[in-house]
Amino acid sequence: MTAVIETTGLGKRYRRLWALSDCTLSIPAGRVVGLVGPNGAGKTTLLSLATGLLAPSAGTIEVLAGPPPTGTAQLARVGFLAQGAPVYAGLSVADHLRLGAHLNPGWDTALARGRIGRLHLDPSQKAGTLTLAIAKRPDLLVLDEPVASLDPLARREFLADLMEAVTGQQLSVVLSSHLITDLERVCDYLIVLVASRIQVAGPVEELLATHHLLSGPRRDLATQPAGQQVISANHTDVQTTLLVRTSEPVLDPAWTVSGVSLEDLVLAYMRQAGPGRRNHHLEIRK
Amino acid sequence: MTWLTWRQFRVQAATALAVLAAFAVPLAATGSHLASLYRSDGVTGCHDGGCGQLASSFLDDAGTYTVVYMLGIAAIVLAPAVIGLFWGAPLIAHEFETGTFRLAWTQTITRTRWLASKLALPGLAAIAVTAGLSLMFGWWAAPIGQAARLATGSSFPLGMGPFSLLAFDAHGITPLGYAAFAFTLGATAGILLRRTIPAMAVTLAIFAAVQVAMPLGIRPHLFPPARTTAPIGSLSSLSGATHMSGGSFAFTVRNLPSQPGAWILSTTAVNAAGQPVSAVPAACTHQGQSCLASHGIQVAVTYQPTSRYWAIQWTETGIYLALALALAGYSFWRLNRRLS
Repeated sequence: MTAVIETTGLGKRYRRLWALSDCTLSIPAGRVVGLVGPNGAGKTTLLSLATGLLAPSAGTIEVLAGPPPTGTAQLARVGFLAQGAPVYAGLSVADHLRLGAHLNPGWDTALARGRIGRLHLDPSQKAGTLTLAIAKRPDLLVLDEPVASLDPLARREFLADLMEAVTGQQLSVVLSSHLITDLERVCDYLIVLVASRIQVAGPVEELLATHHLLSGPRRDLATQPAGQQVISANHTDVQTTLLVRTSEPVLDPAWTVSGVSLEDLVLAYMRQAGPGRRNHHLEIRK
Repeated sequence: MTWLTWRQFRVQAATALAVLAAFAVPLAATGSHLASLYRSDGVTGCHDGGCGQLASSFLDDAGTYTVVYMLGIAAIVLAPAVIGLFWGAPLIAHEFETGTFRLAWTQTITRTRWLASKLALPGLAAIAVTAGLSLMFGWWAAPIGQAARLATGSSFPLGMGPFSLLAFDAHGITPLGYAAFAFTLGATAGILLRRTIPAMAVTLAIFAAVQVAMPLGIRPHLFPPARTTAPIGSLSSLSGATHMSGGSFAFTVRNLPSQPGAWILSTTAVNAAGQPVSAVPAACTHQGQSCLASHGIQVAVTYQPTSRYWAIQWTETGIYLALALALAGYSFWRLNRRLS
């Protein structure tokens, strides 16, 4: 399978601040990719680069084995739901669908009609704008914070609807959120982006299989084997708890080994990158 | 894309039609009366000598239409600014403000086509609206314009010559150029500033500055002015007056009899050799014009002849259209090069 998004040393600078730096990624096709990181980490910047809305300041990015979409050939292959799901205030849902039909040669009228009829859409609802992104029949669907403003029930419905739409098509999906809990039920590939840098990226199964929580008597971290990368460490007077990444089994009998949840894993990487390094001021305005 | 542009523009289009209709009603109601007044006052078939007097009396009779005349000029002069502010500035800026540019730019359409469509429909509408205003007003005010050229001692406002500040800007084809320029100026400001209100403010400031600079600094020099001299003794035939106070000259020459409606740019006192004279010769202080004439002092007048009226109209309109095209070209380049 080819990569849907492939970047090498990708960076984006706003005046003197790097919103994204040294980002090297290869996202395989056919995945539902969760892009997770705190607000201001650079998620919107990365997705804007992937959708051709921004040009990189450094490095390269390839989308669906071609340039980022600015020409019609590539634009037709990438569907995008921007942060805040912007819609034209004076246009109804029907108008937006007509817009989609006029502006996209590959528009799937039956799919759009079916979704709208089934969902009983309200103009402001995100499922409506999601329809706009899906009915153009893209190969890659990019969603920037699609559930951020939804209540828990609406979140679940939105994601269920998304999954239903995805399984019907040969579609790769990248969606971002600042909360992993939003995404863990749908994504099978995870990218953690903190303070403008990629902290970890990989298939969820693989990440869960290679990260372990170790707890045991208090000890010095310098004694850890070279194959174990310590992501986070907590010490009390008598006990040490570590989150480590290793592809080998943990053999030391002093440790009690347990699995990690995806949430623990993401939080450990966020903590490692340090809350002090978050660039809140870089959050893209809607 | 044309569908979307039309869908977003239709309210403005309806407003523009309403404005055109509101403009047409008073003109249609009074236009034929004004024309018949012109005929009944005898200006139509007048002969050289009597025309000035007949035209002046027509302008007196037409005085009741002064308000309509001034409102018509005001509407045409203000229309391009209003178009620039309310059609041009929000055109792209509002897409940036609400984030809808992200929706538009990720459909299967290039930014170039998107902008071309957004500029073309309202831009052509802007030109059409001002063309409509100018045509209607030009038809209505034609008798007044004719009389103003012929009248002796014509006065503001009905007696304004074709080149005078407000009359020139409100007649002919220049309003079309102003509208095209103001609209693209607004759109470009919106692309650069990405906020509607600042874009409106900048559009208004730049457009006002250009509209002041054009008639004062550029229009007089579009063509090299013509020049003529007249003996000072015949100054009364220049439809002007001379004052000699404290030894310096002051002329007010409103009209050249040989060039009715010409645009007088400058008047200076010159001696027999054609060199400028700045002070009244000592011998002539508190003396009459005949004293100056006996000293060989003449009046030199530079002017734009009436025959150049349309050449100046076309040139000026061309300049504004070229500015509009340059701004549009810059907008395309900017939108494609500097991605959001």
